[in-house]
Amino acid sequence: MTEAKKLIVSHAPFWHDGSSIAQRSYSTMLAAVPALLLGFSQYGMPAVGVAAIAVSTAVLWELAMNRIMRRPETIGDGNAALIGLVFAMLLPATTPWWAVVVGTFTAVVIGKQIFGGTGASPFNPPALALAILTVSWANLFDFNQALLTYDPGFPMVYPLFAAKKFGASAVESITTLDLLLGRQSGGIGATFGIGLLAGGAFLMVRGIVRWEISLSFLAGVFITALAFHMADATRFAGPLFHLCTGYTLIGAFFLAPDDSSSPVNFYPMLIYGAAGGIMTVLIRNIGVYVDGVILAILVINLINPLLDKIRPKAIGKVA
Amino acid sequence: MTAQKEWKPVFTAAVVLLVVGIFCYAAFSAPSPERPVRLMYQVAAGNVLFDHNTHAAPSGYALACRDCHHNLEEGETEGVVSCSECHPNESEDNDIPKRSDAFHQQCIGCHEQFGAGPGEGPEGCSICHVR
Repeated sequence: MTEAKKLIVSHAPFWHDGSSIAQRSYSTMLAAVPALLLGFSQYGMPAVGVAAIAVSTAVLWELAMNRIMRRPETIGDGNAALIGLVFAMLLPATTPWWAVVVGTFTAVVIGKQIFGGTGASPFNPPALALAILTVSWANLFDFNQALLTYDPGFPMVYPLFAAKKFGASAVESITTLDLLLGRQSGGIGATFGIGLLAGGAFLMVRGIVRWEISLSFLAGVFITALAFHMADATRFAGPLFHLCTGYTLIGAFFLAPDDSSSPVNFYPMLIYGAAGGIMTVLIRNIGVYVDGVILAILVINLINPLLDKIRPKAIGKVA
Repeated sequence: MTAQKEWKPVFTAAVVLLVVGIFCYAAFSAPSPERPVRLMYQVAAGNVLFDHNTHAAPSGYALACRDCHHNLEEGETEGVVSCSECHPNESEDNDIPKRSDAFHQQCIGCHEQFGAGPGEGPEGCSICHVR
């Protein structure tokens, strides 16, 4: 192919592939259902309340911003509801209502609307909201503190906390199967590994989530955690532990591949995902914070515009 | 139907969810078991997460209530008072040690008795106190 041919664009009529923002949003929400249902069954009606308030207020904040900015109503595309739902999945079931409302305001208004709405947000809105709220009210999002009264029949010490503060031996008794089955403390929709993997597979097969980002994110976590574990097995937990705890899986499938804050080309997507995975384990193992997924995703969101400059190519193809 | 025209059903669903959410917050709260499951002592030296269940449950260490709550008589399980009701933050009374001393005596004494003592120095502290 000559250089000149790369710039040729065929004339109209164009063929729409039938996809829409609404379809993407509702499919992603559907993919989140298995993980959410386990959260509801473990934490009961308080978890349902958190999710209901998060989705409803996210939609209402978006509608309010549409009206204030005199823009067309965009709540029909489901993106605001999706932001609310994913944000709820990250939260402890005991989150106070006002924190949920402030969180959805932060996600929808500060994370999305002031940048121009759908497709314009430079950061993943739920991740941005959780980061801001965690900095503001750290105790609310400390799972050990928040879930003190729950006794679901398995150890409820936050696994990443135990591993970071007491070393790998403190989490030796937690099996990967336990983690995959959601027998761990954490966010309402962030603990059920099998549910998140199934949802992620569904999204990747449908093309809603780019496999390049999700799988390179998981590979980044796995390889970095393996390197730490091989360097000092008593201090650092193994790679499977890191893959199945905290926000790793929800980050790989629901946060990192966010449309507007992730790259579109092949190599940039691989670098973006892998950088997120590596950063996650670095923060967990040698950083200050117990979990690194949220901050790692914000960092890769930040470098996203630069990454897309690597070997750019025009999107689309000539029939 | 475009997304713009679909906003009214979504708005209706959001209002319904808001009502559901308010109902859930008003009618349901996190469990408040009669006997604590875990307790978080927030102190300057680093928070201590104490697993009450593991210490008290028959499948755990099976301690009797009186082993820690020493206001009880032998075999008594009713009338447990929390530690802070008797042991204040600061105390000049030699008979009633302040809360931190009471905890240290109680926890360290028992752990050492069973060979699970925290040991001396900062590393010993960090077995319970986590920053």
